[in-house]
Amino acid sequence: MAYSELEIPDRADHLWRYTPWHRIHPSGKVSEVPEAQGTIIDLTSLDGSTEPGGISLEVATPEDLERLCINGKEDVSTQFIQALSAGNTVVLRVARNARPSQPVLLNIECQGDISALHLLLDIGDMAELELITRISGDAAWAGILRQGIFGNGSHVNDIVINHMGDGRLLRTDGIHLGRDSQIRSGSIGSGSSRCKADLRYTMDQIGASLKVNGSILSLDGMHNDHHVEILHIAPQTYSRLDWHSACAGKSRTIGTGMLRVEAGAKGADAGQLFHNLLLSKEAEADSIPELEVSENDVVGCGHGTANGPVDDEQMFYLKTRGFSEGEARDMLVAAFLNATLTDMGSESVHEHLLEILTRDLAADLSI
Amino acid sequence: MARTGGFSVSSDAREAVGDYKAGWHDPEQATVRFDAGLSEQVVRDISELKGEPEWMTDIRVKAYHHFMARPMPTWGSTELLNSIEFDKICYFLRSGDGTKGDWDEVPEDIKNTFERLGIPDAEQKWLGGVTAQYESETIYHSIREDLESQGVIFLDMDAGLREYPEIVKKYFCSIIPYQDNKFSALNTAVWSGGSFLYVPKGVHVELPVQAYFRINSENMGQFERTLIVAEEGSSVSYIEGCSAPTYSTDSLHSAVVELIAMPGAYIRYTTIQNWSDNVYNLVTKRGVAHENSTIEWVDANVGSKLTMKYPAIILKGEGAHGEVISVAYAGEGMHQDAGAKVHHLASNTTSKILSKSITKDGGRGSYRGMVQVAKKAENCKVNVVCDALILDEESRSDTYPTMEIANPTCRSEHEASVSKVSDNQVFYLMSRGHSEQEALALIVNGFFEPFTRELPMEYAVELNNLMALEMEGSIG
Repeated sequence: MAYSELEIPDRADHLWRYTPWHRIHPSGKVSEVPEAQGTIIDLTSLDGSTEPGGISLEVATPEDLERLCINGKEDVSTQFIQALSAGNTVVLRVARNARPSQPVLLNIECQGDISALHLLLDIGDMAELELITRISGDAAWAGILRQGIFGNGSHVNDIVINHMGDGRLLRTDGIHLGRDSQIRSGSIGSGSSRCKADLRYTMDQIGASLKVNGSILSLDGMHNDHHVEILHIAPQTYSRLDWHSACAGKSRTIGTGMLRVEAGAKGADAGQLFHNLLLSKEAEADSIPELEVSENDVVGCGHGTANGPVDDEQMFYLKTRGFSEGEARDMLVAAFLNATLTDMGSESVHEHLLEILTRDLAADLSI
Repeated sequence: MARTGGFSVSSDAREAVGDYKAGWHDPEQATVRFDAGLSEQVVRDISELKGEPEWMTDIRVKAYHHFMARPMPTWGSTELLNSIEFDKICYFLRSGDGTKGDWDEVPEDIKNTFERLGIPDAEQKWLGGVTAQYESETIYHSIREDLESQGVIFLDMDAGLREYPEIVKKYFCSIIPYQDNKFSALNTAVWSGGSFLYVPKGVHVELPVQAYFRINSENMGQFERTLIVAEEGSSVSYIEGCSAPTYSTDSLHSAVVELIAMPGAYIRYTTIQNWSDNVYNLVTKRGVAHENSTIEWVDANVGSKLTMKYPAIILKGEGAHGEVISVAYAGEGMHQDAGAKVHHLASNTTSKILSKSITKDGGRGSYRGMVQVAKKAENCKVNVVCDALILDEESRSDTYPTMEIANPTCRSEHEASVSKVSDNQVFYLMSRGHSEQEALALIVNGFFEPFTRELPMEYAVELNNLMALEMEGSIG
C-alpha cells in the first residue's frame, strides 16, 4: 500500500507512543512527501586495503524490489522512505559462498535538508561476512530503509553505526533470515538529535539464529527511540536481544521490543533484555519489552529490563585505585556500552568499534 | 466445592451446572427492574430511586455523557470489547426490599443462593464483616460489634452516601475521576451498591471484611462502587468474591474501587474473581498511598469471558510501598487481560509486582503493566516479575510491560518468562507414585504458590482445589 493510502499511526500503538509520526516526519505535515536528495555511498574493506571480493553495489531491478521488499507493506515509515527514494533503490549483493577476507565497510553520507536511501540486502546462501554500515553527514533529516534476505546458511555480522550530526534520523530495517543462517545484528548510536529506528527480523526458515545487540549513547537533548521486533515463525529458531543504553544530559532513550512466537514455531528459544544506565538527573529511559507467545512447545521465552544509576560501590572501588570521579565514571560507562559491543563481531571488528566508542565518549560525554 | 475460595456448594448444585460450580441461577425476584438500555433518563431514575443528593446526580449525568462520547479502547481485546451490546443490558435491578442486618430477613431465594455459596458460614468462622450484593443492590450487611464500637464504618455504598455524605463527597471520584476511561465513566453514571469502609486513625481491623457479588439475572449489568479509607496508622484487609450463572447471553460487570491509605496505614484488597464465562469484567481499581503507608492488591482472575483489570497504586507519600500479586487462569473462550500499574511520585517509595498466568484450551492470558518513576522521586525501587505457563498448542500468552524511569537514582527490574510444564518435573513426580494428572496439578499449584500463600487458608485451599479441577483433562 502506498504511503498516501496508509492511516497515520495512533499513539496508543506502542511503536509510536514516544515518537509520534509527526515528530519524525521531515516537515511534521504528515500528508507531505517532500523531495529528497540521495546519499553518497561508498563500499570498501575495513582497512581500505582491498576491494571487497564477491560484493557489489548495484541499482536495484524490479525483480530485486519484488523479491527483497518483503516486510513493511503497511508500515508508515517503510512506505514513506520508499516514496522518498522512488527510483533510486540500491542493492548490496553478496555472492553465494562469498567470504571476504576483511570486514566490509559501507559508508552512507547524508547531506542537504532531506536525504533518503532505500538499500536492499541480497546476501547469498552460505556467504560469510562482517558488514559495518556507517551513517554520517550533516543532513537535517535522513531516512534509511534496509530490506532484504540473509541467505540460507549465511553467517553475517551486520553492524549499523549512527554517526549523524545534529539532524534527525529515521531508520527502518526489514530483514528475513534464511534457513540455518546465523546473524548478529548490532546497532551503535551516538549521533542525531532525534532517532527513530524500527528494526524487524523475520525467522520463517527452520534453524535460523539471531543475536541483536544495541549500544546507544544518548547525550544532551538527544531522543533515541529504538523498536526491535523479532518474529519466530519456523521451528527451531533462536534469538537473543541485548540492548544497552547510557543516557546523559537531558536525553531520553526508549527501547521497545516485540518478541512474537507464532503457533508452529516449535523449539523456539527467545529472550530479550534492555539495560538502561541513567547518568544525569534530567535523563529519562523507557522500556517496553513485549512478548507474545502462541506456541507452548518452546525451549523458553523471556524478557527483562533493568534501569539504574552508575553503581556506587564500583565507583568507590575505582576511586580507591586512584581514579578521579570523572575517570571512574567514564570507565564504567565504557564498560557498560562495551558489554554489547563485544558480541557484535570478530575481534578486529570489536577493536574498530571500541575505538569509535572511546572517541565518542572522550569527545561527547566529557564526564 | 465451589470455584470461589472458602465456600462450598452442595453436590446437587454441582450436578446442575457442570464444570462451572457457581453457574446455577434462581428465579428472578425483581421488585424494580429497569428496561434494557442506557439513557440520561435511566441515570437520573437510578439516582432518584436512591434519593441521592443533587451533586451525585450531577456527577452521574456528566459521567453518562462522557461515556457516550468516549470511544471504545483501541487496545486489548478490541473484538470482544466491540461485541458488547450496551443496549441489551439491564442497568438496574432491585431484588428484595433493601439491605438487611439480620440473615433471617433476607428473601428465601436469595438466602439460598448465598448459603449455597457458603457466605453465612464463612462470616461466623473468620470474618469481621460481610456485605452481600445481589444484582444491583446489597441485600445483607453486617459488621462485628467490637469493630463498630471502635468507629469502623462498614456499609454498602448507598447507605454510606446517605449516612456519611461528607466523607463520600470528599473521596468519591478523587482517585478515579469519571473521565479516567470509558468504563469508569459508565460505572460513575450507573453505579449501585458496593462497599464503603472507613477505618479511623490507629484502628487495626484484625479479621478481614468481605463482600460477595452475585449476578443472578440474564443480560445484567453490575456496577458496584467501593471506597475504602484507612486513616493514619490504621490497617484493614478486604476480600471480595464474585460469581454469576452461566447463560448463553452476556452480562457486564464494571466496578470502580478507590482506596485511600493515609500516612502509616495499611490496606490489603483481595479479589477472587470467578465470573462465569459469559461475563465481561471491565474493572478500574486504584489506590493512593500517603507517607509510609502500604497498599496491596491480591488479585485472582479465574473466570469471565473477558477481564480487563489493572489494579493501580499511586505512591504519593515518601516511604510508601505498593504490591500487586496476581494470578490468572484463561481457559476455553476466555481472555484474561490483567496487569498492574504503579506510579512512584515520591522519594524512597518501593513497589513489587508479581504476576502468574496459566492458559489452556485456547485461552489467552495477557499481562499489561506500567511502572512510572517521576523526576522528583529519588531512590525508588521497583521489581516486576511475570511468569506464564502455556498448557497446550491452542493457547496464547502475552506480556506488555512499560517502564518509564525519569529519575537516575531509581533501581528497577523487570523479568518475564513463558514456558510449558517441564517433562522432567512430570516424570519426577510420576516416579514418586503420582498419576500424570496429579503431577500436573501439583506443578500448577506450585506455580501459583507465591500467590496462594498470601491468601487466608480457607481461600488458598479452595483455589488449589479449583486449579486441580481445571487441570482435569489436560493430559492425554
